[in-house]
Amino acid sequence: MLRRLPYRLQVPLGLTLGVVITALIVTIVAARISAGSARMMTLATVDSAIALLGAKARPLLVADDTWRVYVLLRNTAALLPGADKHHARAAVLDVQGKIVAASDPVRLETGRDVLRELAHAGPDAQAQQWKQRVALERADKALTLIHPVSSEDGQILGYSYVQLDGPVFAPDWAALAKPAFLGALLAVGFLAPIGWFVGNRMARPVRRIAACISQIGHVETAALISQLPIDTDPELDRIGNAVKRLLQEMEVRRQAEQRALSAERMAALGRITAAVAHEINNPLGGLLTATQTLRLHGESETTRVKTLDLIERGLQQIRATVASLLPHARIEDRPLEVGDLEDVVALVQFTATPRQVFIKSQADVSSALRVPSAAVRQAMLNLMLNAVKAAGEQGWVSVKLEGCAESVSFTVSNSGNRLTAEDLERSIAAESGNDPRGFGLWVCREIATQFAGRFEAIDSLEAHTRLMFWIPNRERDVVTAID
Amino acid sequence: MKRQTFLRMAVPAVAATIFKPTIAQTDALRIGLTPVILADQAAFLARWSDYLSKRLRSPVAFVARESYQGVLDLLFGGQLEAAWLCGYPYVRHLQQLQLIAVPHYEGRPLYQAYLIRPRHQSSLQGWRDVKGKVLAYSDPLSNSGWLVAQTQLHAAGLSPRDLKKSFFAHGHRNVAEAVAARLAHAGAIDGYVWETMRQQGMAAVEQTEVVWKSELFGFPPIVARRNSRHEKIRALQAVLWAMQNEPEGLGLLKALNLTGFEAGSPLLFNSIAKMAASTEVRVT
Repeated sequence: MLRRLPYRLQVPLGLTLGVVITALIVTIVAARISAGSARMMTLATVDSAIALLGAKARPLLVADDTWRVYVLLRNTAALLPGADKHHARAAVLDVQGKIVAASDPVRLETGRDVLRELAHAGPDAQAQQWKQRVALERADKALTLIHPVSSEDGQILGYSYVQLDGPVFAPDWAALAKPAFLGALLAVGFLAPIGWFVGNRMARPVRRIAACISQIGHVETAALISQLPIDTDPELDRIGNAVKRLLQEMEVRRQAEQRALSAERMAALGRITAAVAHEINNPLGGLLTATQTLRLHGESETTRVKTLDLIERGLQQIRATVASLLPHARIEDRPLEVGDLEDVVALVQFTATPRQVFIKSQADVSSALRVPSAAVRQAMLNLMLNAVKAAGEQGWVSVKLEGCAESVSFTVSNSGNRLTAEDLERSIAAESGNDPRGFGLWVCREIATQFAGRFEAIDSLEAHTRLMFWIPNRERDVVTAID
Repeated sequence: MKRQTFLRMAVPAVAATIFKPTIAQTDALRIGLTPVILADQAAFLARWSDYLSKRLRSPVAFVARESYQGVLDLLFGGQLEAAWLCGYPYVRHLQQLQLIAVPHYEGRPLYQAYLIRPRHQSSLQGWRDVKGKVLAYSDPLSNSGWLVAQTQLHAAGLSPRDLKKSFFAHGHRNVAEAVAARLAHAGAIDGYVWETMRQQGMAAVEQTEVVWKSELFGFPPIVARRNSRHEKIRALQAVLWAMQNEPEGLGLLKALNLTGFEAGSPLLFNSIAKMAASTEVRVT
């Protein structure tokens, strides 16, 4: 419990506890010594008292003056150790051993034959002739002293008699403990404020270190390091240095993380740039070919109008793609039409023709299309360009736009190597990572997810690849946000 | 211990006096006091002696002794002109002593002897129960503190040998203290002294209680030698008789728990004389 307290309390309490324990030990030792010496002193006092009592009682024994013996005992017994607590009493016995008078007549009644009682009490007393002083000690430390009172010619006239109870020889714990208690009290009164001061001073560097640690993340590392205490105490110095090293390492790590974050941002920016370039570049090839067509066959009204419409829709698609990069940009987009499939096929045709790839398109729309044209055109263009590339020289690409009341789907097949569902997922994961070359598939997945649809590879027994882009057929305000 | 032996040994032992210098004053009227009264207070005795001195126009000195025999010795030795004795020594020396005054206690020149025991010691109900017990007497020449007890013990069929022990406490007050301290199981005491102690709230009396009260006896008288030639003896008699008639005298009497003095008559002490005669016959 003591260890849970702060140093400024722990130190004075520890000192106090030490003083109290010391005082206790000193008291116990002093009591043991005092008990031994007190018994000797008590016996010496009683020896003197019983001899004096015998001398004073001699003429009274001769006169058989019970009253004056009582007065003598009443006045002198108070001097016996323990008399104030009724643990000591004195009497004068006649020559037969009967009590002439006693200081406490209730316990030592007049006329009681004390010597006869003692003779029956034990073998030690039985052997006594009572011609000299006798001390009889009981098991409980009680002591009885009998001192013969003799005439000048040696005739025994009677006895002076003293009884001391056991507690007379017991250490007076209260008296012994009192100076120890006062000493301890003084020491505590002196040491407690000093202990508080010392404890506070000892704990001050630790508190400063703790305060520095608690401010990590909120205050500049350099400032925290400057706040760390410099202490001559080797233990505290080690703690301070350890915290200092910790702060320095944290600063190095923070700077590294900042650099990594900056690099990551740059990488992300690169990916975005690549994606935008990809999405814009896709229709650009077709548009450039369209301008070439317009230059060569522009005299024909039909060809000119058709080509210009194609160019306009292609440019609108690029515009929508660029606008989608702007945060919270609202794009007014028209619903998809069946003619958009033909536009996309026309734009892709310019890429497929040099490769001699045959494109087969089919539209099966049974309900009005309500999906946005720009996003779906972008998905269709990406999927078809990828399919042309995957089909290889003299290959084929088959596309089918299907629309019903619930959904709009666009399925692309090609004669190239088969792309399984696992291959597609791996490719999309790669596209969302650091490889900027095939953003088409990743963009299609993002568009499908954005419109609560799906984009997946359809496994079948056929050897060619078949991908399907599917979104619900419903109107929606397209809000594109790029974080 | 025989009574006579005690007297022989006790008299030299109490040779010291409270007012030793006054004995040397040959012209003063010297009055001996015994434990018949609780007059051991120096201030009271000084007031009383002043009172008497003013009225007698002669110095008066009180001389106190613990035993009656000590006062008798001084009286017969011519060192006292008067003494306040007990009825028993008076009747013993009737031929040598003359009555000066007999105090009134509760309006009469009479008092009783008491047998007392420690409070709540119900095993002692009367003189018969004293057998095998320790009995405290006051003085070998005290009527209430010895003579009455001897008569009652005899009447109860007991002899001194039937007691476990007996001793003299050298005064009625000490008898009360001895019984209160359980030094004695019972005590023979002057009823007037016990009642006065109780009136004054003394602790010794609070711890004792009266078991038996005697018939009425003549109150301890103030006496002088029959052949005393001191000129102030008669005047002392008149002053004592007149104390009850003036406030200062009444104040002193009240302090003594008395109501006055009268001339008295030897006939008052006849019952004591009879007891003494029969007891001394038995003892001798």
